[in-house]
This record gives sequence, C-alpha cells and structure tokens, in this order.
Amino acid sequence: MRRHPNSWPVFFFFILFLNPAILADSVYADEYLKVTGPCRFQFPRDHGAHPGYLVEWWYYTGNLSDPAGKRYGFQLTFFRTQISPPGLESRWPDPASAWRTTQLFLAHAAISDLDASRFYFDQQMARGALGLAGAEQQGDDTRIFLGTWSALIKSGKHFLKARADNFEINFTLVPAKPLVAHGNEGHSLKGIKPESASCYYSFTRLETSGTLKIKGKPVKVRGTAWMDHEFSTAPLEPDVTGWDWFSLQLENNTELMIYLLRTSQGGYSSASSGTFVLPSARTRHLSVKDIQADILDHWKSPHTNGVYPSRWRIQIHPLKLDLILEPNLADQELITPETTQVNYWEGSVSVKGKIADKEIKGVGYIEMTGYANPFNLLK
Amino acid sequence: MRRLRFFIKLQFWFSLRQMRAHYWRVLAVLFGIAIGAAVFTSIRLAVDASLDSFTQSMSLVSGKTDWVVTRPGGRVPEGLVARLNVHPAVETASPLLTSYIKIFGEEAEPFLLIGMDPILDRSLRGWQVKKTKQRDVRLWLDLVREPNTVILSQRLAQRYNLKPADIVTLEHIHQVSKFRILDTLQPQGLALVNGGQIGLADISTMQEFTGLQGLVDQIDLRLKPNVTGDDLADLKNLLPPGIILETPTRVKETGDMMIRAYQLNLSLLSFVSLFVGMFLVYSLVALNAASRRREVAILRSLGGSKRLIFLLVLSEGLFLGIVGWLLAIPIGSILVKYMVQGVSSTISHLFVRVHVDGLRLDPWEILLSFCVTVFICLLAAYGPAREATSIAPREALFLQDSMPRQRRFGRQITLLGLLLIALAWPLSKLPALSGVSVGGYTAIFFLVLGSSFLSLWILQWMGSVFPPLLSRLGGEPAFLGGRFVRDAGRRTAVSVGALVTAMALFVALVIMIHSFRSTVALWVNQTLAGDLLLRPKMAGFNQYRDHLPEDVVRVLRALPDDVQVLPFRQVLLHYAKTPYQIEAIDIKLFLNYGSFLLLKGNFEKIVDPVMTGQGVLVSEVFASQTGLKIGQRYRAQFGKSIMNVPILGIVRDYRTRGGVVYTALEPFQRMSGNYEWSGARIFFKDRRQDLKKSAEDLKAMIFRDIGQSHPLEIISGEELRREILRIFDETFAITTVLLLIALLVAGLGITTTLTVLVLERIRQLNTMVAVGASAGQIRSMIFWEAVLMVMAGESLGLICGFFMSYILIYVINRQSFGWTFLYQVDWSALLVSIPLILATALIAALPATLLVLRSSPALVLKES
Repeated sequence: MRRHPNSWPVFFFFILFLNPAILADSVYADEYLKVTGPCRFQFPRDHGAHPGYLVEWWYYTGNLSDPAGKRYGFQLTFFRTQISPPGLESRWPDPASAWRTTQLFLAHAAISDLDASRFYFDQQMARGALGLAGAEQQGDDTRIFLGTWSALIKSGKHFLKARADNFEINFTLVPAKPLVAHGNEGHSLKGIKPESASCYYSFTRLETSGTLKIKGKPVKVRGTAWMDHEFSTAPLEPDVTGWDWFSLQLENNTELMIYLLRTSQGGYSSASSGTFVLPSARTRHLSVKDIQADILDHWKSPHTNGVYPSRWRIQIHPLKLDLILEPNLADQELITPETTQVNYWEGSVSVKGKIADKEIKGVGYIEMTGYANPFNLLK
Repeated sequence: MRRLRFFIKLQFWFSLRQMRAHYWRVLAVLFGIAIGAAVFTSIRLAVDASLDSFTQSMSLVSGKTDWVVTRPGGRVPEGLVARLNVHPAVETASPLLTSYIKIFGEEAEPFLLIGMDPILDRSLRGWQVKKTKQRDVRLWLDLVREPNTVILSQRLAQRYNLKPADIVTLEHIHQVSKFRILDTLQPQGLALVNGGQIGLADISTMQEFTGLQGLVDQIDLRLKPNVTGDDLADLKNLLPPGIILETPTRVKETGDMMIRAYQLNLSLLSFVSLFVGMFLVYSLVALNAASRRREVAILRSLGGSKRLIFLLVLSEGLFLGIVGWLLAIPIGSILVKYMVQGVSSTISHLFVRVHVDGLRLDPWEILLSFCVTVFICLLAAYGPAREATSIAPREALFLQDSMPRQRRFGRQITLLGLLLIALAWPLSKLPALSGVSVGGYTAIFFLVLGSSFLSLWILQWMGSVFPPLLSRLGGEPAFLGGRFVRDAGRRTAVSVGALVTAMALFVALVIMIHSFRSTVALWVNQTLAGDLLLRPKMAGFNQYRDHLPEDVVRVLRALPDDVQVLPFRQVLLHYAKTPYQIEAIDIKLFLNYGSFLLLKGNFEKIVDPVMTGQGVLVSEVFASQTGLKIGQRYRAQFGKSIMNVPILGIVRDYRTRGGVVYTALEPFQRMSGNYEWSGARIFFKDRRQDLKKSAEDLKAMIFRDIGQSHPLEIISGEELRREILRIFDETFAITTVLLLIALLVAGLGITTTLTVLVLERIRQLNTMVAVGASAGQIRSMIFWEAVLMVMAGESLGLICGFFMSYILIYVINRQSFGWTFLYQVDWSALLVSIPLILATALIAALPATLLVLRSSPALVLKES
C-alpha cells in the first residue's frame, strides 16, 4: 500500500531552491547568507532555524521494532526554505499582512512496515506564518512544526509527532551520544567552492521509543534513530546529477555517514565525503578517496521505471570497514509525479560486514536521488 | 407498416393537399406557432444559461469544499486557519477573501479578485496558467512572495489588452494600487468563475490591498473521509462565538432556487404566446375539417372508421406542431441572443450576480420545447377532430359542402366561462409552492380561459344589439357585418378569444408595470431620500462588505454645518436560507428628510420604539420570504451579540436581491460593537437653495479631498432615482417583449380569422355583388365585422386584464418576489394603446378585405 498524497512539489520545492539555476535567475541571488567557513555551532541556539540561508532541514530517520519483533523504518523531515532574500521585508506594504512571509516549510513523513512489505508516505507544506508552520525557540527548547507534525528538541530529549492518514508517530528520542559536527566544525563542503557548503551536524544515535499507529492500530516500538540538521544557500555545484546519502549505525556503537555526489561525467564529485563516529563520539572525517562504493544489484521501480542501486558494498579503507548494505524493503520510493517530476528512494537498510576482519551488523537509512529522472541541476 | 403507409398517403390526399391549396393560411398559423415556440424555448434557454453560469461559478469557487466557516454579517479572524488545520477531521482549511474591484480609469464592469493561499488551497480549487508545470511552481511562489502581484484570467487580460509583466492599476475602496501581472490563467477551473472575469492574488496581497489585515471572508474546509457527526460537533465547538460552520451549497441552493422559480415564472409568461398560437391552430384545423365535410363523409361511406377520421384531423395538428417547431429553430436562434442579455441582467438585478458568456443547448430543453409545442397543437386539433367524427356518411350525397351546424352549446360554454372566472378568485388565495405562485398562475389561466369562453356570448350579444346602431354609423354593410358576427359562431369566437388573451395580458402588465414603477419612484423619493448618497465603489457588487475608510469618515465628519450627514451601516445576513440586509441608520434624523412607506403598523405608535432600537421595521419582501409578522421577534447574530427585538412595522422596499430590516444606528452600534460606516446619506439643511448645484459642488469637494485615494461612489438623489428606474425598465424589458409577441400572435389570429371568414363566404359575398352590392360595401361590411370582433376582444380583454392585474400585483408578485405595490392604473397609456390596438387589429384585417373580390363574381359563382 503506497500513498502519494496531494501531488504537490514538496521535494521538488526543496530541490528547486537548492538549484543554482533558480538562484541565478533571481536578482537577489547574492543577498542570501552563505556558508563559507566553520559553523561554530552554539546549542541550543543552532537547533533552531537559520533565516537568511536559503534552505534548511531537520531530518529524522530510524529503524524500530515492536515487542513481537516486527520491524519498521521511519522518516520525518522538516524543510525550511526562504522564498525571498533577507532584507526584502522592508519593501513590504505597511502594515503587512500576517500571511506575508519569507519562509516556507515542507515536511515528509514515511513509515516502512518491513515485515508487511508496506510503505506509507505523506507530505505537507505551509508558509511560515500565522502558526501554520515554523521553527520557534523558547528557552532551551526548539520546536519545528508544520500542522500537526512536529519535532521538539529539548535538552537531552527529542519528541517527534506526526499524524498522517494511514499512520501516526509519537516518539521520544534520547541521544545516546553527543551530537557531532561534520566537516570542519560543521562546515560541510558540497563542492569545490568554499560557499558550496552547508552547516551540518547530526545526532547519530538516538534511543527511540514510542507509539506507532498504522491504519489506526497502535504498537509500541523501540529502536535507534538518526537526526541531521543542515542549512545552506548553495550546497551543490552544477555537474552534480544526484546524490546517495548513507547513515549507518553499527552494533559496535559506531556510526558512519557518507554522502556521494554523482557527477554528469560519471563517478563522484571530489566534494563527496563522510564522517565516522567512534563510540566516544569522536569523529573521523572521510574524504572521497577513503570511500569505495560498489553497486551490487539494482531495483527497477514499477512506478517510475527508475533503476536504483539496491545492494551496496561500501568499503572505508582507512577503517578497514567492508559493509554490504541491503534494503529491508525494495520499494521505498517516494513519488510526486504530476508536478515535481522528482522521485527519490529513501529507506531502511540492513548492514552486514566486517571491520578489521571482525563480523559486524547494523542498520541504516539510504537516500538516493536522481535515478528515476534527471536531477536537472543546472541543466 | 402497410396501414401506416396508407395512412400517410391518405393524410397527404386529405390534409396536405388542402393545406397546399391554402398555403398562406397555413403559413400564418405556422408563423404564429413558430413565434410562440421560439419565445418559449429561447426564454428557457436564456434562463438556463444564467443558471449554468451561476451554478458553475458557485461550484468552481466552492471547489471541493465540504464545509465553510463564516461569520454572519462579518469576516472571520485569520488565526482560525491554523487551529482548523490541525483538527483531526480536517484535511485542509483554506482562507478566502474576495472582492469585486475595478481597473483604474476603465468604465467596464468590475471583476472578481480572489485572494487565497495557493498552498492551502491546492487541494480545493484548480487553476492553470498556459506554461509548463515547473512554471506553475514558480508562479504561485511569486504570487506568495511578491506583494502586489496578480494572475488574471485570459479573458480579462484580453479584454483590457494586458499581458504578463504589465503593470495594472486596480482600485478598491481602501486604495488605488499598482499590480504586476504575473501570468494569465487558462480558461478552466477557477478562471471560469464570474464569466471568466477574475484575477487571483495571494491572501497577503489581498488583505493589504483591501485593508483587511487579520480577516478573511471565509475559511473553506475539506474534511477527511469518514468524518463523523462527533467530529463536526467538535469542529463547531472549536469556533468562537459568532462564527458558524455551514455547507458551501447554501448560497448556491438559494440562488439556484430563485433562478429556477424565475425561470418558471418566465416560462409561464412565454407560454402565453404558445397559448395564443393554440387558438390559431384550432381555428385552422376546425376550418379545414369543416370545409371538407363532404370529403369526410365520402371517406366514411367508403368504410373509413371514425377513428381514422379522428386521426386524420388530429394529425393536421401534429403536422402544424412539428413544422411550427422546426420553423421556431431559426427564429429562436435569433431571439435567444437578445433574451440571454436581458434575462441575465434581470437575474443579476433581482437575485444573484450572473455573468453569462455562452449558451448551452440542453437536449432536455429542446425535447421539452418540442413536446410542449406538439402537445399544444394536438390539444387544439382535438376538438375539431372529435367534431369531424360526427359527420355522417350520408352527407356524401349532399351536393355541396354543408357548413357545420353550430351546436347549441353557446349557453354551456358561457356558463363554463363564468365558472372558470369565479374559480380564479379562490385559486389566487392558494399559497406558493417552492417560490412559484402556482395558484396565481392557475387563476390567471382560468381567468383568461373563462373570458375567452365568454367571447361567443359577447359576439352574439353585440351582433344582436349593435346592428341598428351600426346601420346608422355605417349603413347596411355595417348592419350586415353585425348580423354576421352574431351568427358566425365558434370559429370567430376562438379568434376573439385569442385577442382577449393577448389584450388581457397587455392591460394587466401595463397596470402592473405602471403601479410598480410609480411605487418604486415613491420609495426612491421617500425611503432612499438624500441629496447625495455616498458609499464605497462597487459596494453593490460587494454587498457592502467593505466599510468606508477612516479617512473618508473623517472628511465627512468635517463637512460644513449646513449639511447633515446620515451614516448608515448595511450588513448582509441570512435568515435561514433567505439572504437579506440589515440597514442601521439614525432614524430620527432620517425622518426629518425622508420617510418609510409603511404597509402595516401604526406609525405614531412605533416611531419612538424604532428610533430607540426597541424594535425594527422590516420590508414586505423580508416579511414575505421569512413569514415573520408584526409583533413577532426578529433575531440576528452579529459576532458575539444577538439582536432580539420585536417587528414593529412592515414597510415597502424594492431594493433588489432580498429583503431589508431597518434599525436605529446607535443602538445597533452599541449592540454589535461595530462603529464602521457602510456609507452615508447627505442632506442640505437649507432646502431653499439650488440643491442640484449644491450637491454637485459638494460632490466635487469630497472627490477632491478623498476621492483620489479611496474610490467612492457619490451619487445625487436625482441620479439615483434615474439609475433605479433604468434598472427597473431593464428588468421589465423581457416582459414587454413577451407582451408584444403575444399581441403579434393575436394580430395574426385576427388576420387568419377574418380571412377565413371571407373565404368561407366567398360564394355568399360574390352573390351579394352579383345582386348589386358594390365592392366598397362588401369591404365595409368586412371592416365592421372586424371592428365588432376587435371591440369584443378588447372589451373582454380589458375587463379580464383588470382582474389579472390584481392577481399579478397582490398574488404573483407577492409570492414570487415578496413585494406588492400601490395599485395604480396608467389610464393615459391605456387610452392611447387601446385605440392603437384596435387600429392595429383592423390593419390586420386588411388582407381579408383585399381578398374578397379578387376573382370575378361570375367565375366564382360558376365554379361553385
């Protein structure tokens, strides 16, 4: 059972604003804030929104199971995009309508009922005004919300809530490790130019518990989740045709994040990189040279005819890490057909492999874009 | 099959040959039927077009909305949108703010600007620009992020020669502002609303333009599937006091019902032409049957059954019906173009705003028109067909065609006529059914039919009493003409009946329209009194939802002491499903300059309580539509406040689109907490000055002070009166057209009848010539026959018309529109038009007089 509601360009919207072509089209392209160096995060302030940057997201994914051992994957993502550059408010009529805003919020939620081989997806969008959507901070608490969907980040705990037609989540997430900043103090390069970058940090291991309702039937679930928070103005460069993003949680209390930016010439952009998180939460930055990713199998989407990699072999040579990644459900493709023309695969995977010749297992999430149709960045 | 072929052949020999021999008669009748059918069909199609336009607009605006959150008499706070959007039963809650606005400097009519949130609205309403889908994304995004941007419908853009990226200046009472056109909408979905004269704006832009920050007209809800009654109750509990949840179809249903009732009213009126045409068919078929008695008798003697004879004669009616209907197609196609404009304009004035931009040929309407026309003709042919079956086979032995013997049923038919007229009175007392005055129309039908039935008696009476007098006036020919009228019998009476019908309708409508017009003029002078009337531009279009901006109020307050400013507040409300307006005004001050046309209630007793807000005056329309009477309580909710006061008086009021409730301004302001002005009436205290010039000067001054920044409608009392009477005349244009057509058909009836009478007596007339009568005498005789016939028709029609006018004013108007008028007869119009109709009818008799001696008497007599 799949659901592709509303047929609106939620993800496309997000992509659209990442698209430098769109920015180039705008006379205000240079007026957005840019990430050009270390982000020097301060928390809880930086859990909140960063207006002035073109795009920002809070990304939760996780693998859970119920007391009967049935497994589930989940995704809850909030996107913020600034639709007009900072300072333009001064040109608004006075008094301005409360509907007038510079911020647009989008959200995706998905549940993979792995044992039942069902995938549910829903999406929302609203302007950041009048309590319809927003990212607000009160004291140490940060709340990102869109309608009934919300992520509340408190000191030491995150609370996720989302109610869609076919499912509902109500999770509490407790960081098992401190957050980690990727790249150089969060400055995560996505291209050759320094401003082709984002500020990027993650909670790589969040002990998750709560209630999951599918079709009105509640189950208690537990597991681990991953949270990314990233903001930027121009993260991708022209020759990038899509990306593959991996967040893996291994049973030895380590985590691995990799993003591989595919180029039009084939191969990966030199800006592709990763972060390995040790049990102590210390991180090791991985460059593209450290990463070898081989595709072992493919899956052809019956919905879009897109051919996605379906098994991966990931080798991180400096870490002697050799992993096989296999989707827990083949069809975890998100489709927004009528308007977005951007379809992507985001789903739960199982990890098996070796680290320094020792067997190891884990779980994770992979996001793959640009397979079902051209990613069309700067094309 | 063989029998059918035989019947068709027989039909050709028996009927069509006869018709071909007298084709001009047939053509005249066919023309009459065609006009009747064309009017009937084109009226219905024209109303259908308005109905389609209205329902389509309503449906497109409603989109997929399940429920609507509104505030009766006001607007909804925007903060509710977010609260509703998180309710578990709500799929989406989308705000809507609309207003009729104008392109600055253009004289054309206003267009509808729809303000909405393109994001929340996406699952409710569809719209599409001409570009690719990617462009759509950018487009609505531009709409959201850029102030003062609009997307115009292609039709609107083409009309004003506007294109994307153009800057257009729009005006609303709040301000005049420049907008950038982002793109044009393809003619589909929302772009078809209001006849395609629309623009789209983001809700933020709309609020800023109209100065309605914080408010929306309504919030449209789309609910999740399987929502229960408990969910709805929970939703209602969420709403603050004064805000209600209602179905989006309420306005649509009300408008739909009103237009359908109007359609029925017009259909019945247009049916008169067909009804008059029925007399023509009867006349022709009866003549055809009568002049072929010998042929019928021969057929009978050869074995033709009575049934065969009946079907042969009846099929003549069928033939006339089918051919008449076919001829109606080209006539109707021309007529309908004029009808559409008139009907849509009337519906816009009276009920709901419609903008017709096309015509749809509904197969059911075509079928209905065909069936009604054919049925009418068959009904008309039924009598002669029955009569033909009584022809005995032995008549075949007669040497000449014997004319039908007049049955001695004159007395019975007169009595039947009197009975029908008597029945009209109780019928007119019956209540309306779904807004249609069924009893009233039946009463009119009985009245007309009854009066027509009296025409035989009146002809016989006139033919008996008048000839001595006529002989003095016109000599022997007049005497003979009178005697002939007495003996002419039923066929003449039928033609006179047609004239009675048309004349009665004419008289009734002349009286009704005159009464209506005079009463409206009185109302305009008294109740709408004011040397200047000021309101926001397009206030009528926007149903006074916009109030006067503070700047304007300030200017009005600062006007010199020699003028009296009477502000008023006007709010559109609904009583159950009935829309009406409440008008709050300083009644004490108002009564210094104007008055109410009190219909019920004691003015002396009620004036004080009304002035102090202890009761209200309601219009006759409001009382008729709601059933509320004097002494009963009037209840209405304004936000959190509830008004609950007795109805103290019923007044005449003729504003279009619903009733009105008058209340005192100050208590209303205190009760509702709303101190805004919807408009103002301005009076000069010194009534001796040149009021027209002073009004012009003051108008110019107000325009100079504030008119540039806030579009206002400032109209002098005189201009207003002229405008209202113009609308009035426009509204009755259709009625007048129908009336003239009925008269035309009746004129055709006179021509046909007289011609038939001449032809029928051709041998007799030529014998008279042969024995010494001059052609002039013969023509004179026919002329006097015509005079008597037309006088009989006119006098009966006149009397019937007076009765009919009473029913029209006090029954049909009250039941259909809720109002009555002061009964006033337009004697001058009648005195001018009655001789005119007489003259016209006599001119209609000319072809008959010319026909008399076309052949030489000797030849005619030899042939016969």
